[in-house]
Amino acid sequence: MPVITLYYNHLLSLVGKRKSVKEILQTLPYIALDIEEQTKDYVKVEYNPNRPDFSTDYGIARALKGIFGIEIGSPKFQCTGTNVSIKVDPSVKKVRPYIISLVAVNGKLDDEEIRQMIAMQEDIHEGIGRKRKKISIGIHNYDVIKFPLLYTTENPNFKFIPLNSNTSVSMKEILESTDVGKQYGRILDGQKKYPVIKDRDSNVLSFPPIINSELTRVTKNTKNLFIDITATDLKVAEDALAIMAITLFDAKFKIQTVKINYKNKNIETPNMKDNIKNLRIDYVNKLLGLNLDTNEMIKCLARSRISASKDKNIIKCRIPRYRIDVMHEVDLVEDVAIGYGIHKMTATYPQSSSVGARDTLMSILDNSRDVLSGLGMIEVMNFSLVGKEVQYNMMNKNDDNILAVEHTKSIEHEVLRDSLLPSLILTLSTNIHESYPQRIFEINKVFTADRSNIKEYFSIAVAIAHKDTDYTEVKSYLQAMLKYLLNVDVDTVTGINPMLTDGKSAEIIVNDKSIGIIGEVKQNIINNFKLRVPVSVFEINISDALKI
Amino acid sequence: MFELMTLDVKTLHEIERKLIKALTNGKFTLNVLTQQTGLNIDQVRRGIEWLKYKNLINVNEKTIKFLSLGIEGIKAIEKDLPERILVNVLNSLGEVQSIPNLKLACKLSDDEFNAAISNAMLNRWISRIPNSGLSNTLIRTSQQTRESKEEIFLKKISLSSVSYDSLSDEEIKAYQSLRKRPNYIEKKETKNIEIELSQHGLGIVEEVNKQSETERTIDVMAPAPIIFAGRKNPLQDIIDEAREIFVGLGFQEIEGPLVQNSFWNFDALFTPQDHPAREMQDTFYIAKMQASRVADKKILNNVSNIHKKGWGYKWNINDIRRFVLRTHTTSVTIRYLADNKPTETKIFSVGRVFRNEKLTYKHLAEFYQVEGIVVGKNVTLRDLMGLQTEFYYKMGLKKIKFWPSFFPYTEPSLQSMVYHEKLGKWIELFGMGIFRPEVTIPIGIKNPVLAWGGGLERIALLKYELDDVRELYNNKLSWLRSVPKCQ
Repeated sequence: MPVITLYYNHLLSLVGKRKSVKEILQTLPYIALDIEEQTKDYVKVEYNPNRPDFSTDYGIARALKGIFGIEIGSPKFQCTGTNVSIKVDPSVKKVRPYIISLVAVNGKLDDEEIRQMIAMQEDIHEGIGRKRKKISIGIHNYDVIKFPLLYTTENPNFKFIPLNSNTSVSMKEILESTDVGKQYGRILDGQKKYPVIKDRDSNVLSFPPIINSELTRVTKNTKNLFIDITATDLKVAEDALAIMAITLFDAKFKIQTVKINYKNKNIETPNMKDNIKNLRIDYVNKLLGLNLDTNEMIKCLARSRISASKDKNIIKCRIPRYRIDVMHEVDLVEDVAIGYGIHKMTATYPQSSSVGARDTLMSILDNSRDVLSGLGMIEVMNFSLVGKEVQYNMMNKNDDNILAVEHTKSIEHEVLRDSLLPSLILTLSTNIHESYPQRIFEINKVFTADRSNIKEYFSIAVAIAHKDTDYTEVKSYLQAMLKYLLNVDVDTVTGINPMLTDGKSAEIIVNDKSIGIIGEVKQNIINNFKLRVPVSVFEINISDALKI
Repeated sequence: MFELMTLDVKTLHEIERKLIKALTNGKFTLNVLTQQTGLNIDQVRRGIEWLKYKNLINVNEKTIKFLSLGIEGIKAIEKDLPERILVNVLNSLGEVQSIPNLKLACKLSDDEFNAAISNAMLNRWISRIPNSGLSNTLIRTSQQTRESKEEIFLKKISLSSVSYDSLSDEEIKAYQSLRKRPNYIEKKETKNIEIELSQHGLGIVEEVNKQSETERTIDVMAPAPIIFAGRKNPLQDIIDEAREIFVGLGFQEIEGPLVQNSFWNFDALFTPQDHPAREMQDTFYIAKMQASRVADKKILNNVSNIHKKGWGYKWNINDIRRFVLRTHTTSVTIRYLADNKPTETKIFSVGRVFRNEKLTYKHLAEFYQVEGIVVGKNVTLRDLMGLQTEFYYKMGLKKIKFWPSFFPYTEPSLQSMVYHEKLGKWIELFGMGIFRPEVTIPIGIKNPVLAWGGGLERIALLKYELDDVRELYNNKLSWLRSVPKCQ
């Protein structure tokens, strides 16, 4: 989850000096910001991905002012029209069909504020922008641009001077040889032409979604900004532009609109129209367990920076455009709760006469654990995802029918276990310096592939290691376990298993049905795992055993 | 070391007393002591250890040489010694014979024949006739051919092996003579332990004899041998503790598959198909397999529509067929709710969930998650806080606070912070919330659904005072054999 750094000085200047650092630190968690790190100059907070408006301290100050009651209701926002326009060439339709934009003038950003703007841009790219696939944002120095602009496409050999360069480079080269090109170039895979934004004099502003041009670089002397967002998803682009607009407005810029001229329609952005939603009073009270009246509820919403008014039995909410997390009436319930103050909500205990119970199968497993530990065994706990080497190769088993996962980060966790025994042998091999006898068991799920289905069932496995262990000993444990657990008598008939020594290996039969295997582990496996004593084992499919 | 002054004869174990009594008669080996006391060898060994520790006996290790017949010795017992064969032949052929004749009749090898002559001469059974030519010496028998010392000795050791120390002077001479012949006698050395009473031991004999059985006590301070208990895994103890609390609060346990299709793990929980959590870097997908049947048509339609409406994209039905190792137990809960459509219920589940992560001291790729669900007409967010408070209270955690939070499928959402007395700080535990209508409406659930849950390993680390989560799965027997049940 994204983390941002808040310097107390700057944040206090935005919230208002009447508040102390201590009050702010206490309040942050109650607007869903987790404190990650705290020093005497700054605090690092983690914000939730549904609130990209929290990606700068302007957004966080906006919410804090509401909670503190310094400024309530929907935040102030104004913008004026301009003659700035972008013409959209139809060729972009196949590549990256949308562009929207705004102009922000008469502002001033210091180094820290520039850093925050860039961090916001990156967070939006990563989050709602889905790593620039859906949207990408360009921030430019307005003063060097000659309007109108053209959003069009060019051949990969088209050249311009990209950011941080002093020579012309072709778009193809940018994709092949720069870090951003390699990282985001895949978005343009299969395209014959690449998107590009040019000004009146054909100077390039940007090669979206990869890189801006050096020409429009923003410095701390930049007073006027031009923002573009290119997108494959217009709604997400408008979401992002609304967040940029309110943030720049709070940073004391004057926001101006931009006209976008498509072939068939003309629009003007940013679109900052409120989202109107009705909220039922009883719905809120019923979900939260509160008994607020209409006025109290309107106040709570106002503290969450949403202006609302009474309309008969409902509350009409005017949700600012930048609050992209409000999708449904239920999202406003949370805003009421946060405006009310979660710390003020006390716990209630629902009356209930229900009777609790363990799951039947799970309680049989509980009993299995009791019986086996009663027999002096220690339960071990291994992962379901194991390495192929241990599960198959080192155990004399062929790996034709493995259930592997894709793109694992560790080859020790690559296949789903089809048997618990290899993990038990591995456990013994990591304990060769502990005193013997060692008697261990595990109860867990194992997995098999059956055409297009994956079957999973619970398995019980036992391994005994000491210098005198043998088939007879482990059979005694098997008999005792099944007798005490299920009151069944067990038969063992000669069977061949690649893991077990021939002649000392059997199938476990209960009521004419095979439910598992038992025997002495083959010497070459003992050697593979560098064990120094013999090992005898059994494993049963407890799900099958229960069907008996 | 055990202090002698404090030794109370009453504390001697029955085994010790038997041994002391037997040792009053001299020094013995372990085997002899076993016969004399009627104890088994393990008891004798144990008793010897205890007495040695108390300084009541001396244990002397001694090497004992045993003599027994070798291969040639066994032949000699069956066929007689070569010198005996020689005199017998001489007797049957007449008293005087030439050496070549005699050699022919004896059927001995050159070496044996030469040795037979010299030994028979040493025994004075034969002698050379003086003044005869070298090539045709005549020999006559002596008058007396009684058994030689070698023959007597061979016979003795053919019955049972004999310790070298017990030999008489005559037998030593016989042994030395026979030793020169290859493979007649085998010598084996064994180490033997002999035990005798020490000075202190002798001092208490009288008292031991006087003491009657009933007055006997044991040395209660002596250390006892270490044994290990069979036990459930410590992590399973935590799992069971959580389950017990749920049952106590009136919840019914459910259990379900670890391998799910994407639909139940993500789509049914309103997670958009391009959500980062669905990417392979975060989630394990099963290679080369797809689910054929996912859910019934009506639910598929409903979920498809709600995604279109909420996320504004075209829902791709192919994406839902991929098998995924469940990323939360909620995939089981949601399926249970869809199948049973309860208007009121309290259920819980505990089980493994997966994340495609590299293992570190903080993160596992596979861990246990616990989850509780309440469906009811009038259940509220404050009730959820109450259930949570009760749950933690039963775990011994009494100071709790709630903060707002975010989960894709609940709204409102909270996270709980619990004050840990021992650590002296607040720690984040379970997350919770009310299922979004976009989750409940498509599966036909009308009443609010309260849900909460989280990982259990974190609680296990606190309880067992570990700081590396991997230790829970290392299965070190040293830890499993020593970590106490009650913390």
